[in-house]
Amino acid sequence: MFKIVVPIKQVALLDDEFELEPGASEVDPDWIDRELNDWDTFAVEAAVTFKEEKGDCEVVVITVGDEDSEEALVDCLARGADRAIRIPSDDLPPDPLAVAAALAAAIRPEEPSLVLCGVQSSDAASSATGVALSGYLDLPRVAVVRAIELDPAGGKAKVVRELEDGLLEDVSVSLPSLLTVQTGANEPRYATLRAIKQAADKPLATVAAEELGTDTAALAAQAGATVSQLANRPKGEGAEMLSGDSDEVAAALIEILKERAGVANGGGS
Amino acid sequence: MSLLAAAQTREVFWQFPPWAEVLWYCLAVGSVFVFAYGVARPIAKYRRGNPASLPPLGELRSRIGVANRTVFSQASVSFRDPYVGWAHRGIFYGFLVLFIGTVILAINTDLTEPLFGWRFFEGDFYLVYSLILDTLGVALLVGLLMIMFRRAVLKPKKLDYTRPDRTADDPDQAARRGYRIGDWIFVGTLFYLVVTGYMLEGVRIAMDSPANADYSPFGWLTAQAIDTLGMSEGALEVLRHVGWWSHGLVALAFVSSIPYTKAIHMLTSYASLVLKDDQAGKRLRAAPTDETGEPTGYGILSDFLTEHLVQLDACTKCGKCHEACPANATGMPLSPRDVVLQLREDANDAMRGVGIGGVLGSLMKGDRDDRLKVDVIGGDDVREETVWSCMQCNACVEACPVGIEQAPMINQLRRRLVEEGRMEAGLTKTLQLVHRSGNSFGENRRKRGRWVRELDFEVKDAREEPVDVLWFVGDYASFDPRSQEVTRSIARLLREAGVDFGILYDGEQNSGNDVRRVGEEGLFELLAETNIATLAECSFNRIVTSDPHSLNTLSNEYSELGGSWEVLHHTSLLADLLEGGQLKPKEQLGSRVTYHDPCYLGRHNGGYDDPRRILEAIGCELIEMPRNRDNSFCCGAGGGRIWMTEPEGHERPSENRIREALGLGELDYFVVACPKDVTMYEDAVKTTGNSTEIAVRELAQLVEEAVGTRSEPTALAGV
Repeated sequence: MFKIVVPIKQVALLDDEFELEPGASEVDPDWIDRELNDWDTFAVEAAVTFKEEKGDCEVVVITVGDEDSEEALVDCLARGADRAIRIPSDDLPPDPLAVAAALAAAIRPEEPSLVLCGVQSSDAASSATGVALSGYLDLPRVAVVRAIELDPAGGKAKVVRELEDGLLEDVSVSLPSLLTVQTGANEPRYATLRAIKQAADKPLATVAAEELGTDTAALAAQAGATVSQLANRPKGEGAEMLSGDSDEVAAALIEILKERAGVANGGGS
Repeated sequence: MSLLAAAQTREVFWQFPPWAEVLWYCLAVGSVFVFAYGVARPIAKYRRGNPASLPPLGELRSRIGVANRTVFSQASVSFRDPYVGWAHRGIFYGFLVLFIGTVILAINTDLTEPLFGWRFFEGDFYLVYSLILDTLGVALLVGLLMIMFRRAVLKPKKLDYTRPDRTADDPDQAARRGYRIGDWIFVGTLFYLVVTGYMLEGVRIAMDSPANADYSPFGWLTAQAIDTLGMSEGALEVLRHVGWWSHGLVALAFVSSIPYTKAIHMLTSYASLVLKDDQAGKRLRAAPTDETGEPTGYGILSDFLTEHLVQLDACTKCGKCHEACPANATGMPLSPRDVVLQLREDANDAMRGVGIGGVLGSLMKGDRDDRLKVDVIGGDDVREETVWSCMQCNACVEACPVGIEQAPMINQLRRRLVEEGRMEAGLTKTLQLVHRSGNSFGENRRKRGRWVRELDFEVKDAREEPVDVLWFVGDYASFDPRSQEVTRSIARLLREAGVDFGILYDGEQNSGNDVRRVGEEGLFELLAETNIATLAECSFNRIVTSDPHSLNTLSNEYSELGGSWEVLHHTSLLADLLEGGQLKPKEQLGSRVTYHDPCYLGRHNGGYDDPRRILEAIGCELIEMPRNRDNSFCCGAGGGRIWMTEPEGHERPSENRIREALGLGELDYFVVACPKDVTMYEDAVKTTGNSTEIAVRELAQLVEEAVGTRSEPTALAGV
């Protein structure tokens, strides 16, 4: 059976007003809404669409996160994924390499035919987890994919990936492989509340690092970077209020631009 | 038998040879069978629907009483159209009495006389009978002439049956010709029967010159007319025979055809009125809670509730809903009438070929085959764009003379579309935001109570301390910058009046009214249950809201989920405070204003008078728009339309409404009483280029101006 594994993330949505945990490296969770990462909805949709069209396919969603992140997994199950796995994130640093190492440990025994990630997460935006995961799993990988045509019999996939300046590249990649899916690749479906309630009956396993033949310390050691502190930007430096009528303000502005930004008179280039 | 007694009756089968009488009875029995089969067929169809919400049999008596009051007063037919009301009264009473008269005659002729030798069709009884039937025949005739005049000369646009959900060259438009012809055949047949009936009576009176002819005044007149023709006795005899058979045969054909033509509304419309849900649209029916995995809502015909299948057949194509619908009025591809007719055509097509065996099987054994398992949403059926055009304003339900639930049916279609993800991306996004954040703005829930910051007093947290009035603020009033101004006005007024009130701050969530109207039943339940749980923890006497949408679901729908409270609109509270003296206007405003009835305050909850009481109390001169109170015109925001994109290239409902107001002459204010109206009409005033002509004000703002709790007159912010 064709098996697609989709690693997903429950992201934090920061309001324009928020407070930091005193002295800590996190935002006070009261100010945060959480949802399934937008990019991941496209990866899930691609997997579920393939399953619906071709049949004989299993879609497994997996995340590294706290108990609340099971909501995002259930969302994916409601969209049509078959089962879900959560690796508890306790004591794991929120770092792409550590998370990818944990994901790899859980995905390896699944022996997937295809791994679909979102290009990036909307909160951390490092675009690194998927790429790192392909390294740990030793899978060929294509990033920023916006169209996928799977050929399981031929053991390959034809994909279109986005390059800069609107250039598109057609790539053929052998299976199993890992693709990171770009937004706009499809139209993610709406998971109704009814579907979400029914999805609660689908299998959702919590698997600790130890059960995967590793431990949290080993995974944490993979981290490339850790957040040591979050702080608000200091206020009040460098602002100068200009006053007067519009001609005076414009004249003052020209002076400042010439002086500090090195803008030459006359314009044009 | 005395001469007098012999004269005070009439012979039914005049100079009939026995074979003719036998032929007549064979035809009569045949027509009864054709009629009975015609009635059985739709019943077989209804048995394929979902009977889950049929009212209990115990209610039948009271329901028949209510239906009879509607039918015998003809009130729902007269509603908004007295001309048609009077015409239909004539036809209804004329037909009914002539029909009963025929049944009485048949009882005498076919039962009591041959079986028991008892003839009651004579003497005084016959004279009174004659007089009543003769008079009501005239009523029928006049009614038919009025209707024919309307169709042939007045030609109301709605009666050409053009569909707004199809392009002009669509074959479905041409197919509507059948409806127009069918209507004329129906009216024409009745007309023919009345005319030949009087002719027959006239010939009889002319020939027999009975002493009691003055008990048939119109028949006597006809006889006089026939006399002037100077026909010979023989010619009259022929005319009498020809007249009898041509009247009799057509009458039999008509009776047997009733279930197959528009005439079926005599049965189906009555049945629909008996089944009528007087909460239709105000309280939508909950989706079944079964976990069978059956999809929710209406996707195929067998999903339909039995009463909805009956309603499809009850439609007389009168077009009242078509005229009342704001979507249709502004060129959107929706007419509630055409939704009903399309579904009816689909259902009848599906039942075609069921055969006598199939009908009997359904009736006797309850056989339910897969005949009605056909899709109803799609290009040849009710289109998705049609389903999404609806504003769930209930104008159609309010206007329907026969109790059809157009808007709730459309809501059921939406439930299926939502389940299948067949909706526009913007709406999907909004539903996700509501689920995630508890409000349609996608704002952090902590921001909900932030509007109080600009007040110079504290607003109680009703979760922390008991209050008299718990103010359920609602999404728009909490988050929309323009509505926040109004919200603060209300807060200042409540404080001025000494009302002990509090709000739920971030404990409040979207009330779910519009989420439910969109068709996301599960999300509605989640929101309602969350709010009910929060409210249950609070101590208060009553709930007030400025949002008519929240008002509707809190007072009509939460009770079914376990939350029953007294819920008031702020206009009711303010009207009481003004009349009770807690709020004292310092000045009479003296403004000329018009007032827009919000759909969910007026039509859904009968809140027509309190806003008008307020306007009177603060000295505003109210100039009513032509469409007011129950006929109010939706602003276009209802049913979740506010979360969908407005199609380009045609007038918006709100613009249509502003133009209606401008037609009243010079006005100071366009007064509203709903947070969504503030947004909708502020925009419409601008997009129609009338910012200098008229200004939008929420009622509370005008009250504040009169009471003087705020020094300068409040303008709506966010311009």
